[in-house]
Amino acid sequence: MSENQPKSPKSLMERFTKENILKFVVDNAIFFILLALLAVIIAMEPRFVSLKNLTNILTQSSTRVIFALGVGTIIVTKGTDLSLGRQVGLSAVISASLLQSAEYAYRMYPDLPALPIILPIVLVMLITGFVSLLNGVVVAKFKVDPFIATLGMMIIIYGITSIYFDRPPYGAQPIGGLDARFTKFAQGAIEIGVFRLPYLVIYAAIATAIMWVLWNKTKYGKNIFAVGGNREAAVVSGVNVTMVLLMTYTLAGLLYGLGGALEAARIGSATNNTGNMYELDAIAACIVGGLSFSGGIGTISGIVAGVLIFQVIAYGLSFIGINPYIQFIIKGLIIITAVAIDNRKNIKKK
Amino acid sequence: MTHENILEMQGIEKTFPGVKALDGVQLKLRRGTVHALMGENGAGKSTLMKCLFGIYRKDAGKIILDGKEIEFEDTKHALKSGVAMVHQELIQVQSTRVMDNIWLGRFPMKGLFIDEDKMYKDTLEIFRQLDIQVDPKRKIGDMQVSEKQMVEIAKAVSYDSKVLVLDEPTSSLTEKEVNHLFKIIRSLKEKGVGIIYISHKMEELDQIADEVTIFRDGQWVATEAVRNITTDQIINLMVGRDLTNRFPPKTNTPSSPLLSVVDLSVKYQPSIKDVSFDLRKGEILGVAGLVGSRRTDVLEALFGMRTVEKGEITKHGVKIVNKNPQQAIKNGFALVTEERRETGIFAELDIRFNATLANIDSYKKLLVLLNPKTMNRDTDWVIDSMRVKTPSKATKIQSLSGGNQQKVIVGRWLLTEPDVLLLDEPTRGIDVGAKYEIYQLMIDLANNGKGIIMVSSEMPELLGVTDRIMVMSDGRLAGIVDTKQTNQEEIMRLAAKYL
Amino acid sequence: MKKWTAILLAVVLVVTMVGCGQTATTEEGMPKIGVTIYKFDDNFMSFVRRAIETAATDKAELILNDSQNAQATQNDQVDVMISKGVKALAINLVDPQAAQTIIDKAKAAELPVVFFNKEPDQAVLNGYDKAWYVGTKSEEAGIIQGEMIASMWQANANWDRNGDGIMQYVLLKGEPGHPDAEARTTFAIQTAVEKGLKVQELELQTGMWDAVKGKELMDAWLAKHGDAIEFVVANNDGMALGAIESLKGNGYFVNDKFMPVVGVDAIPDALQQIKDGFMVGTVLNDAKNQGTAAFELAMNAAMGKDVVEGTSWTLTDKAVRVAYVAVTKDNIAVGEEAYK
Repeated sequence: MSENQPKSPKSLMERFTKENILKFVVDNAIFFILLALLAVIIAMEPRFVSLKNLTNILTQSSTRVIFALGVGTIIVTKGTDLSLGRQVGLSAVISASLLQSAEYAYRMYPDLPALPIILPIVLVMLITGFVSLLNGVVVAKFKVDPFIATLGMMIIIYGITSIYFDRPPYGAQPIGGLDARFTKFAQGAIEIGVFRLPYLVIYAAIATAIMWVLWNKTKYGKNIFAVGGNREAAVVSGVNVTMVLLMTYTLAGLLYGLGGALEAARIGSATNNTGNMYELDAIAACIVGGLSFSGGIGTISGIVAGVLIFQVIAYGLSFIGINPYIQFIIKGLIIITAVAIDNRKNIKKK
Repeated sequence: MTHENILEMQGIEKTFPGVKALDGVQLKLRRGTVHALMGENGAGKSTLMKCLFGIYRKDAGKIILDGKEIEFEDTKHALKSGVAMVHQELIQVQSTRVMDNIWLGRFPMKGLFIDEDKMYKDTLEIFRQLDIQVDPKRKIGDMQVSEKQMVEIAKAVSYDSKVLVLDEPTSSLTEKEVNHLFKIIRSLKEKGVGIIYISHKMEELDQIADEVTIFRDGQWVATEAVRNITTDQIINLMVGRDLTNRFPPKTNTPSSPLLSVVDLSVKYQPSIKDVSFDLRKGEILGVAGLVGSRRTDVLEALFGMRTVEKGEITKHGVKIVNKNPQQAIKNGFALVTEERRETGIFAELDIRFNATLANIDSYKKLLVLLNPKTMNRDTDWVIDSMRVKTPSKATKIQSLSGGNQQKVIVGRWLLTEPDVLLLDEPTRGIDVGAKYEIYQLMIDLANNGKGIIMVSSEMPELLGVTDRIMVMSDGRLAGIVDTKQTNQEEIMRLAAKYL
Repeated sequence: MKKWTAILLAVVLVVTMVGCGQTATTEEGMPKIGVTIYKFDDNFMSFVRRAIETAATDKAELILNDSQNAQATQNDQVDVMISKGVKALAINLVDPQAAQTIIDKAKAAELPVVFFNKEPDQAVLNGYDKAWYVGTKSEEAGIIQGEMIASMWQANANWDRNGDGIMQYVLLKGEPGHPDAEARTTFAIQTAVEKGLKVQELELQTGMWDAVKGKELMDAWLAKHGDAIEFVVANNDGMALGAIESLKGNGYFVNDKFMPVVGVDAIPDALQQIKDGFMVGTVLNDAKNQGTAAFELAMNAAMGKDVVEGTSWTLTDKAVRVAYVAVTKDNIAVGEEAYK
């Protein structure tokens, strides 16, 4: 991206030819679409431009970024993960059940002492990490197509979560009454003057930074691109493909686990349907952000941009009160347009 | 009336952003002749063919088929007008049967259903004409490359093509298969079909072509009758400079023993059985054999990509085991694979990535982080010492020519400082000038004490750069010959030993 | 190697199936009653299910089915139950329009059917003499919610923050087209107006019954309208709780900054929020009595008795209506009773 920037001011004028402007627009079409939509939203509701809305959008994007980072890494290895949403649900339900306030009358574990909040969070991360590791084993060792492997896992996890969730004495009740420390952990914010920096945004930023370093500065990062870009060539080049895949799925599981616990705390309750279909939002955001199902392509900044684009649109459209059904249509169009334009970009290069 | 030229292309121009790919080129194909089209990669051969078949739209120029100016919409349109092409990379549906592939898109129908009997009989009839022995009901995926190619040609014939384009048809065929192919080409000639024959192999021209047209850098250079021009002249016209020798002088001398392989067998057969040989430092050992003789398996077994059943590998007198490529790399082996696109390059990624991947462990600092400085330094080294022509090290490797891609891959392996370099068809699909550079590189490496094992289907190449040649036949070693004291006939005889 | 892993997988599969397979307790002599629940993990229906199970203890052998929110699944389940020889059907429809199909199946087997919770058309019900309905009227929840809103608004003059005498409200609607969502939305506001309130709708959007959506919509609305919002009406407690989380995050419920929120369903978490003063009221959909009534009618029908014989229910137009109850801090015990 940075290569496209003009090197000297002298050449700037030459760059403003009709052809170059068109190329610039096509190359960054998704951002222009976003800008156009933003302009429409602001025209219809000028109050949209506010610090409050910015923080709201950032906060709402936070857990979604964490999920997208996980599945995005899998997509780079030419995989996919349909079990994302259900893993989020599993994590949300278990962490919520272990962190209900002692005063709450309808606790799943009435005699459970107040745990340090880090304990259940780490626990659910280990659980989803393990579940995802199984995904990795099925994909890497048994050579099952990732779509099928994670489709199966998605259904299995839903069953497990539902069994855990729908138990006496209170049955299929949303697990609420969460410990105030837990909700504060997700809902709290650092106040800087008028600006509130929500903790969630900080967690997402940390996760993004760690993933950025992993992708760009480590051997593991090179290996995921090698495996996704050309698996056979990666084997020949001495990459341990099985190990890379196992690590990738496990890493994604850890992120889902963290995000799931944060999701429960953010919402204040969890059910076995928490996280339902999140995988589709996350995958769509990755694709809009420039990742490719053919593997080996993508950037962390693209993933974050993809999530933000979706959230800006979802939030903006709710804000101006657009019918949610129409929101679905707009979202779908954006996914298709983004990928179609991206392909055009590549076709042109041949 | 019939025109002498079945196909004429005049003044064809095609410009891509920043590149003039075709600059007023011409080609005249006479009825019932084979017209070779020669040129280095990037000279414009395939661009011209793509303009002919409507895959690209030409900017200027005329295409005249049998006296009528035409412009094809797409390959289907071309086929219907009697112009067919057999691609270098065969585009076939692997899971279907031979006859389904031939009649795809125009199945004979009986009411609502496909007339299987007619399809079978018609296929057999075409095969009979061409003397092809293939069961029309066999699955494409089960067949040899050469057989697939025959099927493609049969398909073109089934359209009653007047013009047939063959793109590097012999690149994966054995001597015997090539002869069969030439027989078919000659019979098509007799029927008045005009054939455009694209190839890099000089030896074939004398045998099969009547005329030759040479392109260089998107421009027409010459058209001559083949009998009036020598191979060296053609090469000079292609390269645009004098290239007196196709092979660099052999300056390397094999010295002390490096590698010894005894009774190497692969577990999952068919593959190699009881193969024994040794390799010295500074030696280039060729591996010859027909398609299916398991030449590549020798390299893959050495590199830990196949499950070894028995056998002993010793290097510098120490017994070693390569269970997987990681171990092989640690033990000082490197493998440049045959299918560059399939198993060599990471097309979408840049040169730096492609150059440094196999050596990635040596760039670590601070436990897990990588050091971009040393990675850049090594990439620069690859670009410089391999003489890779590229705008920058951040260029995607897919935008380089085949020869330059190959140089990056060889460079990738040299960074791991291997003792044993395994090369599988290292010059396939590379133009003449770049081939010379690869040969020179191999000899330089041998001079630096490396041992090189090279699998090749091109006899001149084996005879030109190796010190010894081991000949494989049906998975077994048929013999090892001294390159200086052997000839093509002896190698072919050995290659057929266990058939 | 491959073979072994395949065998291992197969073994795991078989062990799981054996381990999970429940040993069906066949209680001889008791009539079999076939029950379908539209979705097991619906929180309200899980209580209805428990009430049915409690009521059936030692009286009947239940065949319970989870229709997984798919009418096609439910139809298949009904076929299976009929072939298993049930004496009566108690059906919680997935799609109320599918009642005729179920009745056709029951008619062919001459079985009585008691529909519960999701109401079939009266005409369809009238078309078969052995079909009844147990449930509530969708609009009743809305009416009770509306009455609650009106009386609370009138009792708390300080809730009219801008003092214009008009209640500026936002409404979180359930899934559009869902009979409950439509009825609750219409009747809550209509009833409040009938009780003499002046209202102004600032926002009305669907939160799809979902707490996440409820929270995110509320976030956006607070950013847009700020303190101009004076009342939050939600079609269910889930969305109401989401809205409360959003309000807490936006500085409400500290130092006198208050926002009245009402929901429907009286789920435990909502009762807790009412106790703690974050929510002003909800409407109890009486799961216990719905389940008990559904079972008792089905049981009587199975024994060939009059359906309400020996029960406290009254039948009007072939239907038993179980009343909704308004739950506020004052009568929270009523709500808590439902979970004991």
